[in-house]
Amino acid sequence: MQKSQLTLSLLVIASLLILFITPQLGLQLDDDSQRRVLLDIRLPRVLFAFIAGAGLALCGMVFQTLFHNPLATPFTLGVASGASLGAALYVAAGISFSLFGIAGGTLAAFIGALFAITIVYSLSRLRRQFEPNTLLLIGVALSFFFSSLILFSQYLSNITDSFRIIRWLMGSLTIIGYHDIFQLLPFVALVTATIIWAAPELNLLTTGDEIALSRGVNVTKLHFLLFFITSLCVGAIVALCGPIGFVGMMVPHICRLLIGNDHHTLTPATLLFGGSFLVLCDTVARLILAPTELPVGIISTLLGGPFFLWLLIRKK
Amino acid sequence: MSLIEIQQLHLKIDDNPILSDINLSFTKGDYLCLLGPNGAGKSTLIKTLIGLYPINSGEILLQGKPLNHYSPKHRAQQISYVPQVHTHVLQHKVVDFIRMSRYPWRHSLSSWTPADQQAIDHAFALTHTANFADRPMQELSGGETQRIMITAALAQQSQVLLLDEPCSFLDPRYQTEIHNLIYQLNQQHGISIIEASHDINHAAVHSQHILALKQGQENWQGKSAHFLTPDRLANLYDQNFVLSTHPTTGATIALTAA
Repeated sequence: MQKSQLTLSLLVIASLLILFITPQLGLQLDDDSQRRVLLDIRLPRVLFAFIAGAGLALCGMVFQTLFHNPLATPFTLGVASGASLGAALYVAAGISFSLFGIAGGTLAAFIGALFAITIVYSLSRLRRQFEPNTLLLIGVALSFFFSSLILFSQYLSNITDSFRIIRWLMGSLTIIGYHDIFQLLPFVALVTATIIWAAPELNLLTTGDEIALSRGVNVTKLHFLLFFITSLCVGAIVALCGPIGFVGMMVPHICRLLIGNDHHTLTPATLLFGGSFLVLCDTVARLILAPTELPVGIISTLLGGPFFLWLLIRKK
Repeated sequence: MSLIEIQQLHLKIDDNPILSDINLSFTKGDYLCLLGPNGAGKSTLIKTLIGLYPINSGEILLQGKPLNHYSPKHRAQQISYVPQVHTHVLQHKVVDFIRMSRYPWRHSLSSWTPADQQAIDHAFALTHTANFADRPMQELSGGETQRIMITAALAQQSQVLLLDEPCSFLDPRYQTEIHNLIYQLNQQHGISIIEASHDINHAAVHSQHILALKQGQENWQGKSAHFLTPDRLANLYDQNFVLSTHPTTGATIALTAA
């Protein structure tokens, strides 16, 4: 068996174990009411965390490949902030609607994400020779700009909405029942299917845009397709869970070190690792100050900040 | 019929004219060198042929059909490309990198065919690099990397091989090695070649035709054997040259006059 297949098998086993064990932590399963808690609260929450984590990690992986930069993710480039702004404006506006069964908040977040990626992509295309760090600076500038607009919309809204926005900005996986899972699953499934289908193209893109083009990859079309689909997914995740930072940067990077850059194996590895990672983060957030729950975004960002610095220093 | 026909090509990037009024007729089996000072438009012309830049006016015909009517995959079946020294860190095993060259011939879900395997084996044999197959790309030297880049382009089994200054930054040994390899590919294996270069003596000896560009315009075009004259070189490069004879090969060579 090849090393990458072995690694992948181990990841599958680890993910199944995590999905099986974490919902039961702190519960006595001989009690009927506790069993209800397991089925109605814990299990959906763990599944939800797994799907969200997988989606965040896959979107991060796609961004890293498209921008040829391990630090480029929907979060560092301001796409998640754009989505947050969309969702915050939706809450602040006090309206409520849905379209084709997709919640209005998700649509608003999706529009925000699309708006942000359009700005980043156009600016990165403005000059041919683009310094990778300039791209990240654009992302930082964009994030600040969107953050101030979020603060502004929060300032203008009433106390209740304002509190909702704050709590949600911390990133939280508190859901009850299975409804939210079905709001999220189609988007993550779409991203997964698209990436698996585009694995040969993504592999060629790791050799540089010019070589990929000369081998027959329609680079521009691929960029547009993947940016559109990841914006959709990031929008859905941000609308439902808030901006949970750094999963999309840490997980794919670790997976690249573990399993290499072939997207045929990197994609399932990133999906499993990302899902398991967010489940673990959420379990820690739930247990560390029990019975009080921390928002999971605090845990993932606490881990992500130092990791980001490590990556920056290591590159030199 | 020409393989590639360029008619009155004009190209601007960000409103700056980079190429103007380029005309070229390139036949199968030809070896064309693009010469000219830095910024003359050699690289741009090559990258236009792989579809990186849209043209503003004029026409590029590939086998009689406009280049922009080809799908990227279909174009890649006809034209392959070797970049200038590669700045990307490639984290692939050599053989994995070469296998990716089969992309234009494969459907997204098809399996690896004997024809694919034959193509990469043949490419390895042409460049004598089969023994590199299992090495990681990032461990190769500059000269070895360029040989693998050429191998990858050959595995693509296209009609034309484009090379963008494949020898810049290589030491004399690797330069000679790559020059000879390209010459062999053209002479013994009939591969059509368009190469941008700064090595005028290599171009004069090895290539069949030369297109000299200056400030995006044609400065001279013709048979390589007629290229080397002091006036022409001085006009092209704004630098005086003297001609001499190579002591062992007897070929005419140009040397910069101090």
